[in-house]
Amino acid sequence: MQVQLIPMVATSWLVLGCGATYPAPTQPLADTESAERSATELGAANQPKAQLHLQLAHEQLLRAKAAMKSGDNESATALLLRARSDAELAIALTREEAAKAGAQTATDQSNTQQLKNATQGGQ
Amino acid sequence: MKTFRNASFLFAFASLAGCAPALPPQDLVTARASYARASHGAAATLDPAELHSAAESLQNAEGSFTDEGDTQRTRDLSYVADRRAQIAEAAGETKRAANQQGQTLTNMHAAETAHADDSSSRLGRANLQLAVQDQSLRSQNQQLDTERDRRQDAEKRAAQAAADLASIATVKQDATRGMVITLSGGVLFASNRADLLPSAQAKLNEVAAALSKNDSDSKIVVEGHTDSQGGAEYNQDLSQRRAQTVRDYLVSRKIAADRVTATGFGLTRPIADNASPEGRANNRRVEIVVQPASP
Repeated sequence: MQVQLIPMVATSWLVLGCGATYPAPTQPLADTESAERSATELGAANQPKAQLHLQLAHEQLLRAKAAMKSGDNESATALLLRARSDAELAIALTREEAAKAGAQTATDQSNTQQLKNATQGGQ
Repeated sequence: MKTFRNASFLFAFASLAGCAPALPPQDLVTARASYARASHGAAATLDPAELHSAAESLQNAEGSFTDEGDTQRTRDLSYVADRRAQIAEAAGETKRAANQQGQTLTNMHAAETAHADDSSSRLGRANLQLAVQDQSLRSQNQQLDTERDRRQDAEKRAAQAAADLASIATVKQDATRGMVITLSGGVLFASNRADLLPSAQAKLNEVAAALSKNDSDSKIVVEGHTDSQGGAEYNQDLSQRRAQTVRDYLVSRKIAADRVTATGFGLTRPIADNASPEGRANNRRVEIVVQPASP
């Protein structure tokens, strides 16, 4: 994911620097929409920390689409870059929360088991 | 990582040389802080690949800032670098939590297995104890069954013996004394004599046969009784000798000697009026008392 993202950014800026016509970022748009969808499906909207970045990704995605519509592909590319990184951060934060919840559940189960075994052992 | 350090070094050198670029944009400052935090967290050991990606992103931002200063491109790259650093941090924490969960589950499984083994061991000991108790109970029940069978057999033989005796003598069941077999003195002995009549031996044979069917633990007392004719002392002696004669005869017929005793009561225990011939005939008697064995 990151390996693909960095060359894309570098290439975009290289094209701009050479004064060429800025191409429509259709692939970055598709990638960003995909990342936003994944974040939503993972439940990022239900995690406070992830929710903020999902919202940022969504807003920047809308702004990128608007920029593309008006022909400002350069701004759209930059906005998609930010939107995708926010969507991917939302995914990472959602996974982190899920992993921590799983660890806590296991700890609770372990404590319950220890209590149960100790009770049975005392009978 | 090395490249990132070189870029930082170049940035510092350029500042000291007097041709310092403009102050870094806030996005770059934030990205640097985020990367520093991530590089000191779990990602450094648990997800170095993600941390490396974050380092590359920050390096791009730093390079842009070095080349172009505070441009929109630098800010965009810094924004991405900050997110990459946060992603690396989150990925490290995710793996830390997953490892913790795995370790907890492993420990829990080990504890559960140990507990199950302990329970199984305790169950085994309990089952063994139950088996021992069961064996003991079976043994006791077997003894009880044997004892019950022995008693039933003894009672059956006693009933049979009583039935056999009933045909040759008077048999009564006395609550305190036991079974009392009464034989008429006139049948057993001639007048004033203590030796058995020949006909008496046949009857005593039947009595001995019946007694041998009885409980071998029961005690037998042969009692001699007379009427009131003659002196008390004489009758006492006569009754004793007659009882002894019957006792000796029973012993000769395979009744265990230690089971049988003889006692003379003379005229002291009449069962009928001595004024009449019939009463005196009834009083002249030998009683064989069978006392059941103590339970």
